[in-house]
Order: sequence, then structure tokens, then C-alpha cells
Amino acid sequence: MTVQESAARTRPVPAVEAEGIAKNYGSVTALKPTSFAIPAGSYFVLLGPSGGGKTTTLRMIAGLIRPTGGRVRINGADVTDLPADRRDTSMVFQGAALFPHMTVEQNVAYGLTLRRLPRDRIRSEALEMLKLVGLAGFERRRPHELSGGQQQRVQLARALVLKTSVILLDEPLAALDAQLRRDMCFELKHIQESVGITFVHVTHNQEEAMTVADEIALIADGELVERGTPEHMYETPERRFTAGFIGENTLLDGIIHGHGQEARLVIAEGLEIPLPNAPVGEGRPASVSIKSEDFRLAPEAVDAVSAPVEVVDVFYLGFSTVMHVRLPDGRPATVRSTTGALPTRFRSGDRAVLSWRPEAVRLHLA
Amino acid sequence: MTHDYENPWGYRLKWLYMLTVVGVLMLPVFYTLYISFNYGGFGAAEYEFTWLWYRTLFENQEIRTTLGWTALIAVIVVACTIPLALLAAKFYQRTRFKVPFVFLMLMPLFVPADVTAAALLVYFKNLNTLTESVLGLAMFELSLWTAVIGQITWCLPYAFVVILVTMARFRPEQAEAARTCGANAWQAFWHVEFPQIRAGVFASTAFVAILSFNEYVRTNFLKGGFDTFPTYLVSYMLNTGMTPEVYAMAGLFTVVSMSVVIVVLATTMLRERS
Ligand SMILES: Nc1ncnc2c1ncn2[C@@H]1O[C@H](COP(=O)(O)OP(=O)(O)OP(=O)(O)O)[C@@H](O)[C@H]1O
Ligand SMILES: [Mg+2]
Repeated sequence: MTVQESAARTRPVPAVEAEGIAKNYGSVTALKPTSFAIPAGSYFVLLGPSGGGKTTTLRMIAGLIRPTGGRVRINGADVTDLPADRRDTSMVFQGAALFPHMTVEQNVAYGLTLRRLPRDRIRSEALEMLKLVGLAGFERRRPHELSGGQQQRVQLARALVLKTSVILLDEPLAALDAQLRRDMCFELKHIQESVGITFVHVTHNQEEAMTVADEIALIADGELVERGTPEHMYETPERRFTAGFIGENTLLDGIIHGHGQEARLVIAEGLEIPLPNAPVGEGRPASVSIKSEDFRLAPEAVDAVSAPVEVVDVFYLGFSTVMHVRLPDGRPATVRSTTGALPTRFRSGDRAVLSWRPEAVRLHLA
Repeated sequence: MTHDYENPWGYRLKWLYMLTVVGVLMLPVFYTLYISFNYGGFGAAEYEFTWLWYRTLFENQEIRTTLGWTALIAVIVVACTIPLALLAAKFYQRTRFKVPFVFLMLMPLFVPADVTAAALLVYFKNLNTLTESVLGLAMFELSLWTAVIGQITWCLPYAFVVILVTMARFRPEQAEAARTCGANAWQAFWHVEFPQIRAGVFASTAFVAILSFNEYVRTNFLKGGFDTFPTYLVSYMLNTGMTPEVYAMAGLFTVVSMSVVIVVLATTMLRERS
């Protein structure tokens, strides 16, 4: 056995590998050269703001648009020059992608009929998939006789039945209402786990991403900003942008002063955040972020670090209460507290003290 | 929407408008049809219903031959025009130069018929000289095929527009979905897009058939040594004036064209209801 062979044996081939893929439309850059690998069998989410390049990335994996640079590999095979029908991928679209002139069963069976499988096998596989997505008994309906959520399930069945190694989903739940979206999220995750196929799911909805993802890649302005598990993206984001996009964080920008135990981020006159042992030198611009639930608002300081604030707005949401406050130099911060844990009912205009633990502060150098 | 607050005059004007249209456009046609069933023809003292003039038409071997040519040309023109129109509409969706392309496609509608016809005639003559000198064979002698080419230039813009309008309603995601299911470009078109634009293709087929059936100017310039029904009718009329047979021929025209339209409308409505 050569060294390479043993390496290949120990490191499994990723289901999808993008190597510097990029897309330009004339002078418009939809995606800058981007590389990533998606482990086989994982649920991978491309998350990001509108226009960031998520759809572009997904469609390049699908073979619906050709990258202007870079290579795409599926299960280790270079497919950059192959069209969608010759790739081991299938896709679920945002909506209106079912064939309206076919019944539900014909829609699901379409890919199998192209493969010229025996009729009864096509039928039994299509029915089995419809059962898996909870639509047994709907096979004779037409797409327009289904609700939005049911249509998306049919699309999923149509993709699943092909048993491709990757399923690509572009905003599959965007057209559904919030409650249904939540339920469908659980279901998608459940189905993905039971079939073990790699899912690549595009969304701009954070909650949807957190619910389904094994791993999230944040894409914005044509760039992959950061990737990691939902927990990493929420608890310990590296990039300032990630902290701004995921969760409900207060971002503060400033300049590093001091070294070692004395290091601190100076944000404004009288507003400094201690950053003991910050791994950067004096004078460097940096940012910190603090999760809204890591702040505590009280009449006086209750944690190691604190700042006097003025309450601007209070939103009672039942289980939790969200408060917008103003730091001494006028900067806004967001505090979220379980309603029961609040020492008093704050009102806008109140003076209070905002406190947090030093460990709650996350440093972002980019 | 209800019309509860509509100005009653709007309603009356709409009816007036309809009646005018019917009066101006349809009455003369129906009148001709009416005369064609009169034994004494136009201007006779009394009306006596008869099939005689139609029977004379169909017993006339010459007319039967012209009907045969007309039908043959119509079939060939439809068979060529519809695929060409589909291709053009597909091309339109992809090209970046949409306005010039549409202009190019619709141009035959804006050039007068006799100009197109004469231009094609001269063009075919030149091509003949060319192919004769190069291949020793005049490939563009006036014939069925030159008439067919002349008619296609006339029918293509209509078929193109009708198909383009139906195609615009097709959602391209569906074709993409077919591709991701493993269909090649041709299968995606044939299995998914075509069934959804079939109504438009069907309507344009009927439209082109009628246009071809009724075409006179280009056919007259470009046909070989045969007559189609319209060219026969016109020359007959010029020779003999408005005889009862001419009324019957005109009646035949009307009936054929109208029945095609009615069939198309009926099937389209049935399809929409289901
Ligand atoms: N055909 C095109 N021609 C020109 N620019 C395009 C084209 N398609 C996409 N773009 C541009 O590329 C960028 C990325 O688009 P993309 O559709 O990938 O965004 P997205 O992240 O999917 O956004 P959304 O959440 O709104 O769907 C956008 O700025 C968009 O305007
Ligand atoms: Mg998108």
C-alpha cells in the first residue's frame, strides 16, 4: 500500500468539493473564488444575506450554471464540464418547479422513467418516497391541488427517489408560513438523517439554518465568510460579519490599548472593554461582540464588567423581554432577558447599569 | 369584479361597438354566403335555396385540383413554419439582442406583399442562374417549393408571436428541474415545456393553415404551373365577373376558415375548463 492510498483510505472523499469556484456576469461578481468541501452524509447549509451568492454557488454545484473559474468535484470526480443531468445530484427549487401537467406520482417518477426502469419498480419506488415525505394517497393529484408545503414535499420526493449522492435545496421553505416552515425543518432534518444523503440547503433564514445544519457556511458579498457548526457560528464566531448576521449581538468597534493583563479595547471616551491577553498588539483596530442574553440589565452592576446605560425601548415578548439601551457615548446595545429574571420592569428613559462577564466578550480581528 | 358602478353609457357603447364590428366585418361575408345558396344568384327577384352552385364547384375537376394544391401547400407550410417558429422563440429567450431579433422576425409583416413576392421572384431567378452555372441545374424554378418559401416568410412572424406569448408563461425552473432529474435539454423541452405550450402551438398551427389557405399575392407570383384555390378564384372572377360560382367559392373560403377558428376556440376553451 502506498502512502497516498492509505491517506485516501483514512480520509473519506467529500461529497462535494469546490476548488476556487467563481462566477462573473460581465463586470458583476456573483461569487469570488471560493473553496470548500462538504463531507459525505452531512447536512450543509449555505446561509447569508440576499444577493450574497448562495444560489449561484448551489447552481454551480448542480450544473445549472458554469463557473467562470475553478473546479467542482462530486465524490472526487471532476464534473465542472458536465451539465446537470449528468451529475450525481438532484435539486429542490423554491417553488413552482413541479410539472403542472403531470400527477404527483408522475412528477416523482419522472427521473426514474428517464432511466427506463421497469414500470412496477418505478411505481413502487415513487409510492415509497411519497410515503416517506408523508404524502401517501396523494399520488393522483395535480400540483395545483396541493398546498405550498405539500408541493415542496413532492419536490423532495422527486429528488430523493433518484438516490443521488447529493440533494441541493434552494430556499425550499421560503414560500411557507413560519409555523409550517418550522415543522418542515424538523422533517427535513429527520429525513436527511434517515436516508443519509448529503443535503446542501440554501437559506437566508437563520433559524432554519440552525435547525437543520450539521454545518453552516456563511456567504455574503460573493465570499464565504466563515463556516462551522451552528454552535460555533453562534457561540464563538471568528468574523465580525458572522457575529452581526447570526444571533442577536451587540457589536463594538475600537482600538486595542495596552498589553497582557492590561489590554483593552477603547471604544470611545470612557467606554473601554477589558481584553486580558488579547492576541494582538497595541494600536490595532478590532471589534468585540456580546450576545444579547449575556448582558444583564439591573439598577446597579451585577457582573465583573459594567457600563451605565439609558433604556431606549422595551419589548415584552412573553418568555423573554428585549431591551434596546444606549451606552454612554450613544452607541446602541441589545439586551435579552427571560422576563422572570428581570429585577424590575424597565421603562424607556430609565437609567440602569449594563453588566457582563469578561468571558462573554468575543474578539473579532476581521 | 362587479360592474355595479359602471356608467350605463359605457355598457351601451360596448354593445354599439360590437354591433358595428359585426355589421361592418361580418355582414358582407354572411351576405355573400347567403347569396351563394340562391338559385338565381345575386340580384335575382326571389330567393330560392339550392346546393347547386356548391355541387357545380365540387364536380369541377379543375377546382378539385386547385383545392388539392392548396391543401398540399398548407400542410407543407405548417410542417415547416411551426418548428421554425419554435426554434425562433427558443432563440429569442436566449439571445441578448432581443429587440433587433424581434424586428427581424416581424419584418415580413411590414413589407408589402407584392414587394416581397417580386423580390423573391427576382431572387429565385438569380439563384437559378447561379446554380445553373455552378451545378448545371436550375434549382429554383418556380414550383410548389418556391410558393412554399414565399408563404413561410408570411406565416412565420404570426406563428412566432403566438408561440412566444405562450412560452413566456412557462416557468424556466421546470425545465431546470427536469434537467436535475436527469433529462437532457431535448427531453426537458419535449416532456416538460412542450406539453405546456401545446395550446399555443396548436393555435399557431391553425392560424398558419388559414393564412396559407387564403394567401394570394405571394403564391400567385411564385407558384409553378398550377393554381391554388385563391389564385384560381381571382383569375376566374377577373374572367367571368361575379357569377354564382364565385359566390360559392367565396362561401367555401369562409366556411373553411371559420370552422378552423371555431375548432381552435372550442378546444382551447375545453382545455381551459378542464
Ligand atoms: N444572471 C445574472 N446576471 C447578472 N447578475 C446576476 C445574475 N444572477 C445573479 N446575479 C448577481 O449575483 C449576485 C449573487 O446572486 P445570487 O442569486 O447567488 O444571490 P443569493 O445569495 O442567492 O440571494 P437571494 O437570497 O436573494 O436569493 C447578486 O448580486 C445578483 O444580482
Ligand atoms: Mg437565491
